[in-house]
Amino acid sequence: MAATLTSKRLSVRDEADAIEMAYDKGWSDGLPVVPPTEARVRTMLEGARLEANHQVGIIRDRAVVISAEKVAINAVMAGCKPEYFPVVVAAVEAIADHRFNYHGPGTSTGGAGVLMIVNGPIARRLDINAGDNLFGPGWRSNLTIGRAVRLVMRNVCGSRPGLLDRGTLGHPGKLSYVIAENEAESPWTPLHVERGFRPEQSAVTVIASDAPHQFYNQLSNTAEGVLTTAADDMRISGNVMGQSTYVVVLAGEHMRTIAAAGWDKKRIRQFLFDKTHNSYVHLKRTGRMSGDLAAGDETRMRPLTELENILVVAAGGRAGAFSCYIPGWGSAKNSAAVTKEIK
Amino acid sequence: MEILDPTTEAVTQTIAWAARPTSLQGKRVALIDNTKFNSDNLLVRIGNILKQEHGVAECRMFRKHNASVPAHPEIVAEMEQWADLVVAGIGD
Repeated sequence: MAATLTSKRLSVRDEADAIEMAYDKGWSDGLPVVPPTEARVRTMLEGARLEANHQVGIIRDRAVVISAEKVAINAVMAGCKPEYFPVVVAAVEAIADHRFNYHGPGTSTGGAGVLMIVNGPIARRLDINAGDNLFGPGWRSNLTIGRAVRLVMRNVCGSRPGLLDRGTLGHPGKLSYVIAENEAESPWTPLHVERGFRPEQSAVTVIASDAPHQFYNQLSNTAEGVLTTAADDMRISGNVMGQSTYVVVLAGEHMRTIAAAGWDKKRIRQFLFDKTHNSYVHLKRTGRMSGDLAAGDETRMRPLTELENILVVAAGGRAGAFSCYIPGWGSAKNSAAVTKEIK
Repeated sequence: MEILDPTTEAVTQTIAWAARPTSLQGKRVALIDNTKFNSDNLLVRIGNILKQEHGVAECRMFRKHNASVPAHPEIVAEMEQWADLVVAGIGD
């Protein structure tokens, strides 16, 4: 017997009226929503075989309990198909994990989005885009799964822009920020396997993140060449004092160039770590580090981040000499990348 | 037709506020340093003003683990034992 739905019910004339009511009540991210009727919400819950009263997570600092019912209502509003719902639930479990430290990135002036990287068979089954226009428009699963998570943050966890979401700039990824790893074409160990899961499991990794920073290298046909460009861009990125997580997304051409040299993710990570140290003199001269210049500052170096906080992902279109890196929010000590199995 | 409310419905709860002191004279004040750059300098200044202009007896700094987490239980317990008042809430 399915559990009773306990959310407050509101009467509306029709679907158009419901869409307007969502705007009036501040439930929308700015785009029209699918009206969350009981039938639609129940079908959504069935998509993950969850009872309405199942507790998906607790945000302790906000004293908020997130029920499957509320997640399902927001997933309906976002336009998710019921088969997407297990991904949404796993991502919400991940942002409620204490290592993610929700209240920090969910509130901060730093304006983080929640980057969600989907791995495993479910990514192919749900057609989660791992190719052309990776972060861009066109894929229902990418757009609606991330939108559902953001609506949960807004409506359930209280992260409303201007109130408990104080992002100075925010970024477009705060509407939706979902990608899959291109496991079909990648020569490398998938991200979720590196993080302790089996290849046949499906998982989602969440990272509180800035927008993607694209870099371009059409000249090099060596791994060192491509990654030297990446490192040069990364080491002057916004979070150079933050020691945050960095996601490095290598698209088709760069992936093939680097793989042809026989480099695995571990070697890529080590190369980027070694090449992204900044000297104290550079950090002080560019206003990033306090204090007067001191003897030895030319050679005193600070790493951009810690080795294990560089996550390498194969994704993006086959054509074009572009890849990107994504700085995480704050520091990895304040908000860590969290991976959860999609059940 | 009917739609379901997507928001968390607030559960009513009663908060027991500590009694407000009528004077700062002779009080011990805990200052919570949230680790943000210069927050310690600002708090030292606040502490000095409280002592010089309001008769506070003593100020002591308590440092959080980092800016984005609540004060950890150890320092909360210590402040509860030691302080009459707490200054918190340093932002950007």
